[in-house]
Amino acid sequence: MSTSLQTHLQRHFGYEAFRPGQEDIIRGVLAGENVLGVLATGGGKSVTYQLPALMLPGITVVVSPLISLMMDQVQQMRAQRRIAATYLNSLLEPADMRAVMREIESGMYKLVYISPEKLQQSHVQTLLRKVGVSLIAIDEAHCISQWGHDFRTDYLRLPEVVQALGNPPVLAVTATATTAVREEICDLLKIKPEHVVLQSLNRKNIAIDVIPVMEESERRAQVLHQMDEWKGQGIVYCTTRQAVEVLVATYQLEGKRKVHAYHGGMNNMERMLIQQQFLSGELDMIVATNAFGMGIDKPDIRFVIHYQLPASMEAYVQEIGRVGRDGEAGYAALYYAWEDVQIHQYMIEREYPTRRQIDQLAELLRQQQSLTTEALTSIELTQEMADLLVFYAQRVSAPYRDEVDPGTELRDHADRVYAELERRKLLKQRKLAEMIRFAEERENCLRKGINGYFGETGHDYTLQCCSVCGLERSLYKDSRQSMNTGRKETSWDLRQALSVLLPK
Amino acid sequence: MISRSVEAQEQEMLSAVALNAMIPLANERTLQAVYYILRGRKASQTLQDVHLYSLYPYYRMFPRFSKENWDKIVSNLVQRGCIHIRTDAGMNGKSTFMVTTEGVRYAAELSNHYQLARWLTPFSASLLTFNLDTFWKRLHLLVQTVSQIAAARMDFIPVVTDRRIQSWIKSQLRSGEERERWQVHLGDELYKLWSPHPMQVQQILVGQLTGAGHTGRTSGQLAAEMDLAPLQFQLMFRYGLASSVERLQQEREAFSLLKALLDADHEERGDVRLSESAAKTYALIQRGIPKADVARIRRIKESTVEDHLVEMALRCPEWDASEYLSPELADAIVRTSEELGTGRLRLIKDHLGDEVSYLHIRLALARYRGEATS
Ligand SMILES: [Zn+2]
Repeated sequence: MSTSLQTHLQRHFGYEAFRPGQEDIIRGVLAGENVLGVLATGGGKSVTYQLPALMLPGITVVVSPLISLMMDQVQQMRAQRRIAATYLNSLLEPADMRAVMREIESGMYKLVYISPEKLQQSHVQTLLRKVGVSLIAIDEAHCISQWGHDFRTDYLRLPEVVQALGNPPVLAVTATATTAVREEICDLLKIKPEHVVLQSLNRKNIAIDVIPVMEESERRAQVLHQMDEWKGQGIVYCTTRQAVEVLVATYQLEGKRKVHAYHGGMNNMERMLIQQQFLSGELDMIVATNAFGMGIDKPDIRFVIHYQLPASMEAYVQEIGRVGRDGEAGYAALYYAWEDVQIHQYMIEREYPTRRQIDQLAELLRQQQSLTTEALTSIELTQEMADLLVFYAQRVSAPYRDEVDPGTELRDHADRVYAELERRKLLKQRKLAEMIRFAEERENCLRKGINGYFGETGHDYTLQCCSVCGLERSLYKDSRQSMNTGRKETSWDLRQALSVLLPK
Repeated sequence: MISRSVEAQEQEMLSAVALNAMIPLANERTLQAVYYILRGRKASQTLQDVHLYSLYPYYRMFPRFSKENWDKIVSNLVQRGCIHIRTDAGMNGKSTFMVTTEGVRYAAELSNHYQLARWLTPFSASLLTFNLDTFWKRLHLLVQTVSQIAAARMDFIPVVTDRRIQSWIKSQLRSGEERERWQVHLGDELYKLWSPHPMQVQQILVGQLTGAGHTGRTSGQLAAEMDLAPLQFQLMFRYGLASSVERLQQEREAFSLLKALLDADHEERGDVRLSESAAKTYALIQRGIPKADVARIRRIKESTVEDHLVEMALRCPEWDASEYLSPELADAIVRTSEELGTGRLRLIKDHLGDEVSYLHIRLALARYRGEATS
């Protein structure tokens, strides 16, 4: 058995050996058990469902909330011709959606990535039942937990879906899960404690630096300096698009290296080009919102700088986890000013509807108005918020669900729905408070702090530990003088330029 | 010449473009209508306006133009004394606007300075229904794919994720013979197509392309490298695309490979001449279903169905509109419009009386202008 698993790994993925935890997870899954796998970012989560997908008779469904990630992974698999894979999500045009569903029905695919909201649709479930699902892999499984930092209502409906699909084995995978979150995942998805595979989240080769600053100008000066001097390629994370734009614009005035912005406001093709330029080394750095990084498997990213405080420890660990996947030394800096907290508090406030908006939405729904974007805009609600409210209303009034329309449900249970929102808001604030506590830690080792947060004890490191234990930053500087001084002017020749792309 | 900051240039060009698009619509439409045209709204009314006032180059010029930004441009133009907003409840209570002599002068000065006329030339009615975005995505992915084939490296990640574009490329490169043909001639055909262009336009087109071992620049990167204001870049890029399409349309035989880029998109969405929703309405109307029932069946407002009828009158000459508009009435409306020298519905309606509906007038104008322009 062991040899055959390894043969598959070698043949299809080109790896000599499993990374820690992978084999245990795969064995559990192939034995028909429900399994929870907690693997570090970059620890090879995708292998744990891609490999079984090749070996199991029916199809493997991968539930993922990250549309760009699923598209990237499918593109990569198609490029490498590894597994016949496709995806179903709300970005597909109806015609494409139908085409993909026909292809799935004809048995063209072994692996189907699907967004949670698509999986709720009954015609999708009918199709999947018909072709037979051998395994349901739930990526980013922490989204199912109300304790998690990005809880999603459509994830909460997954246990029902599993049942509807005839209870195939479930594999829940995540890179970040505290003890409370793990317990909730296991409870909801019926995973036995002995089938939880925990891999150490400690990233030994990454040095953890936390840099408190008094004000914006101080922080900007320091970050600009690091961007010029630090060795290798890196990512700078900012909280808002605006901060990304400002930092890039400022850097480009004086900076020596090639840098580009990346955020959700850019179009698909731009993002694709920037990502590829970064992967191929044509760009030295990306300054990005948290939209960048999912699905990027670049082994030699040398540093991540957090220009501002992230929203939670989970987000922070996921983002620094992109450094040094090749095992070579890497560096992660977190800049922290008190005003960062205000930005997050503002964002949390804005993210949830007010009590009055709940009433307004109930009224809209009761008038049987279809919820157009205009109608929602008039009460300043996003589609996402509206869905969330309807979901909560249905949950609190579950026994009478079939009889009552959502508007009435929402009206009658507005107080309870609002209380639920308050609870979630509070949770986010708690996450933020934990993040602040970490950033303000001056006495205890930061690495121990991170690992302790996720219920781990390990804290070994390879080169340097953290800024509390003492950090020699110069080890991460580039000793050579910066290159890229000015671009070379060459005379333009259309024929020549075309022949670079299309050689004869 | 005084050197200006890129940002100031950008604002000035935006004003120039907006003002030029406003001039034909002054006293006739709201400022909102101008905004819709620049954004490229797919609604019947907008498409009809583009036709009526020959604003083809402006349609979808700034697909991502924010309302905020637009309001800023408008208030600038008001402050400069280029336009006045008219508050005398003209168009069903919505306010129209007028362009002052200063506005006309300023528009001319800026157009001249930024050579707007030059960059806006290749846009004609035939381009209105042509999707330049699809054209560019096809071309981009085609070059990338052929480049990878030439380098014998097929494990690449396509820069275009759109499935429809990808399957179109596959259909072009199905057989070994086809791949060979593209590989041998694509470079030559592109050279032939683009060599007449100004150098900067060539750089803008080629600089964005991706191939084996070479990633294209984004428009922002390239504009910065070339020291062009983003809008200037955008105008020149659109010029490059539009004139490429125009030339391919005119000299199909000379471009035996690239002409394939002009093929309609074989998507399952009905009549490609119409907006997606109007195409669905058309399919029902053709089956003899009255408009009130179409609204019920499709669960849309009857007024929306009426918008679709206007779109059909404009784009589908074979559609028999007599059920909704008698030829005599159409004739009367068109004559009135000409006599009054206006396309404003309210004025025409006031003149003709209550038995003439807005739908009648819109259908008549769409039909008449549609026939006149095609
Ligand atoms: Zn330490």
